[in-house]
Amino acid sequence: MAANAEIYFEHDGWGRALAWSAGLHVAITAALLLYSALFYRTSGEGWGAGGGGEAIGATLVSTVPLPANPAQAQNVLANESKGLTQSQPKIEEKVADAIEIQGKNAKVKPKKKQETASKEKPQPAPEEETNQVAFGEGGPVSGPYGTFSAAGAKGGFGITGGGGDFGTKYAWYVRVIQQKVAENWLKYEIDPRITTAQRVYITFDVVRDGHPMNVQVEQSSGVPSLDISAKRALERIDTFGALPPDYSGNKISVEFWFDYSRK
Amino acid sequence: MKQTSMRSLLLAVALGTLFGLAACGGKKPLPPPPPPPPAPPAPTASISVSPSSIQAGQSASLTWQTTNATDVSIDGIGAVQANGSQNVSPTDSTTYHLVAKGAGGTQEATARLTVTQPPPPPPPPAPTVTDEDLFNQNIKDVYFDYDKSDIRADQQASLQADVAFLNQHATFSFTIEGHCDERGSTEYNLALGDQRASAVKNALTAAGISASRIKTISYGKEKPFCNESNEACWQQNRRGHFVFQK
Amino acid sequence: MDQPARPTRQRRSGRIGKAGLALVVLGILFLSPALLAQDWVKTGTSLGVEKVRLAVSDFKPSTTDPQNTALLKTFNDTLWNDLDVSGVVELVSKSFYPLQTPGQPPEVNFLAWNAPPPNAAMLAFGNLGAVANGRLTVQGWLYDVKNIQSPQILGKQYGDAASDAAARVMAHKFADEIILRLGGGIAGIAESQIYFVSDRTGHKEVWAMDYDGSNQHQITRLGSIALSPRISPDGSRIAFSALTKTGWEIMMYSLDLNRLVSFPHMGGTNLSPAWSGDGTKLAFSSSRGGDPEIYVADASGGNLHRMTTAKGPDVSPVWNRKTNAQIAFVSGRTGLPQIYAMEADGTNQQRMTDQGYAVSPNWSPNGQFLTLAWVRKYGPGEPGSSDIYLMDIASKQWVQLTHDGGRNDFPSWSPDGRHIVFQSNRSGSLEIWSMLADGTKVQQLTFSGRNTQPNWSWK
Repeated sequence: MAANAEIYFEHDGWGRALAWSAGLHVAITAALLLYSALFYRTSGEGWGAGGGGEAIGATLVSTVPLPANPAQAQNVLANESKGLTQSQPKIEEKVADAIEIQGKNAKVKPKKKQETASKEKPQPAPEEETNQVAFGEGGPVSGPYGTFSAAGAKGGFGITGGGGDFGTKYAWYVRVIQQKVAENWLKYEIDPRITTAQRVYITFDVVRDGHPMNVQVEQSSGVPSLDISAKRALERIDTFGALPPDYSGNKISVEFWFDYSRK
Repeated sequence: MKQTSMRSLLLAVALGTLFGLAACGGKKPLPPPPPPPPAPPAPTASISVSPSSIQAGQSASLTWQTTNATDVSIDGIGAVQANGSQNVSPTDSTTYHLVAKGAGGTQEATARLTVTQPPPPPPPPAPTVTDEDLFNQNIKDVYFDYDKSDIRADQQASLQADVAFLNQHATFSFTIEGHCDERGSTEYNLALGDQRASAVKNALTAAGISASRIKTISYGKEKPFCNESNEACWQQNRRGHFVFQK
Repeated sequence: MDQPARPTRQRRSGRIGKAGLALVVLGILFLSPALLAQDWVKTGTSLGVEKVRLAVSDFKPSTTDPQNTALLKTFNDTLWNDLDVSGVVELVSKSFYPLQTPGQPPEVNFLAWNAPPPNAAMLAFGNLGAVANGRLTVQGWLYDVKNIQSPQILGKQYGDAASDAAARVMAHKFADEIILRLGGGIAGIAESQIYFVSDRTGHKEVWAMDYDGSNQHQITRLGSIALSPRISPDGSRIAFSALTKTGWEIMMYSLDLNRLVSFPHMGGTNLSPAWSGDGTKLAFSSSRGGDPEIYVADASGGNLHRMTTAKGPDVSPVWNRKTNAQIAFVSGRTGLPQIYAMEADGTNQQRMTDQGYAVSPNWSPNGQFLTLAWVRKYGPGEPGSSDIYLMDIASKQWVQLTHDGGRNDFPSWSPDGRHIVFQSNRSGSLEIWSMLADGTKVQQLTFSGRNTQPNWSWK
């Protein structure tokens, strides 16, 4: 990433740009803080305290190896509202603006994601279309996974085609991966002061017997506890189930992103 | 001619007399009577009972046989088959009288069944108190608070009385059972009951009762003394219970 | 919301910048062939994944044998129930199914299944047929009906002598295959067993049944009181505690030999045996030393070691079967019983519950959770109901799973870590119930006599 940053700044006088950048960062950060303070007041109860925290219990249930419904994962009262999933785009909007200055430096993948998001109304109303699958839960059970194939070029590494075959033929297996990682992601391991963060990308291989290996943080979210919790999610998994017997390869490589938001 | 007519007259008179006699006085000469039908055979009957002597409450087998009888009955039983047997169990000695009737006559038979009364039950033993009775009448169980196995202050008196009694009867051995009320979990209650039994045993040995006389066992909540769900019953169940060992 | 501010970049000299660019380009060129050669999958999550919608079409008869009607009913009912309670899939109600259902792959009409009303993602279908010589054959498939090009996930064929029991077993096997694939490599539990205590013969004896409550049968015939049955990890022996002439003893029943096998007399009151995950050790509570303490011995009863010393009853140990290095147990050392955890050598004893009356811990197969029976608010005036709870070992956070206000106790984990079986008096009598580990899909398994202390097999 450092190399990418240097490419951008190479020929420009940086002093003024830096000042503008810094100023805009501060302004936007302030705006975000103000926004969150006004609209995202959290109750701040019961994280991490041993033995108490019934509210946290709800999160705990989602870590039992059962696929949980998104609404249940966040609220003991099984609130069916999609409010949480819908609020995300609002925040993402701001982040997209903030990053724009460095937009070309950052990995193309997240930029693409945010560009897509920023194309929407700047202040989307809460009752956004419910078929928004921007955050990867569910989606169509079988491939292609709209979020990625729609992104076109797969980032700076230029991967295309080869990556699509497994997902198309064994979409059900990809779904199992998604489900198991989500089940094993213990969000209470994340610093309780964090309410949302950038996406973290984890890569790992899945070998023939379904065991994940070579778990790496490919792109950090900037929040260490989130990165660690994502990595730990993978480490907790013994197997996703054997790779389909008629798949000819010895392993597949998975790039998995985690979006975190705490209500 | 007088003689010839005389003879005719005499003949006539003789014939007439003969006819007259035959007509008036005597029987006609019947043909010989048909032979009488053979006399019907007389019925036979026999009856026996085996064994011939029983005790009250036992049963015997009555057996009878008859021949040439169409109507067989036994007093006290009624009409029966010509041959047969039956179990009987009278309370007193009985004579079974069988009557067999047939065309040839009637035949009777009897059998006697003697019923002896069982020996009278032995007289109840003189009311002497057994050791076990003594034990149960005098030993007091020790009651516990919920989830506790320590001896309550108000149980000390019972314990002291028990110690005194046991010292008086130094040969008595016994088991202390630890019990719990129905609340709470099976496994934990067995462990708690074990502690209660031990607590009572320890209190007794501390007061000088020899440990060799004492066994302990826990029943947890498996053998309650009562089954209601109220504090009175629960307290009844939370105890160390003494059982005399014979 | 916090947005970590991007650190500003220091300016480097142009030369280094150009070199950097070259490096990146080279890197791309170098790496991309290698990366292209692998199969990459890209996906992600934020909140959770919903259960996959599975349609389970009734299997169709493949022969005209009259036995098929009854066998199909058993098979279809068993398959449906196994998948319904699995916790892995959401079954699409049969009222949404198209009128024409397939018995063979060519008969699958994808658009009829993947569009509303069924809106299914997966379809299980197949056929079953008995033949005159008494043989039964079942063919089953699992299809991804949204993936018309390559739909088959699973195709299986089973054969056995035709009987109701065989149809049931085949349905269990097929359901387990589906769950293995859709549930991410964890084997299904459709063929697992539950061991429990029943007094329906007049005495508390050890009984066994299929995980769904069928096939209940008696194991021990002691005529006394048998409690706390625990099946060994390999399924060959049941350890339990029974009242004998010498008091409460740990006893061992061999399912291979169908009789009791010897286990040493320990002295005192011996209760609640528990197997280590490798089947080599038994932990149990014994008052052989006066106070009920936790002991660990070899599975044969030798090599006895005492683990706890505190005054107060210590009972109901359970091993962390994943690591075999930790034991949780119940202790009354502070008064009302609480759950403790310790290393398997007795060190580092830590209290896990903070209040109330907590008993009957059972450790999850993945090592992460305890399930326990807890009366959190204990005392006069409180309802006194005992509920099943889930607790995360690492953080001690807990969640309540049952809420019916009755007495619920003795939870036991299924081998897939998704289900819990427990005893409850909510029906008016003590019976065995099962549920998913999130408290849903509660089902009654026993209905006659009083049935308690269930223990789920290890596979």
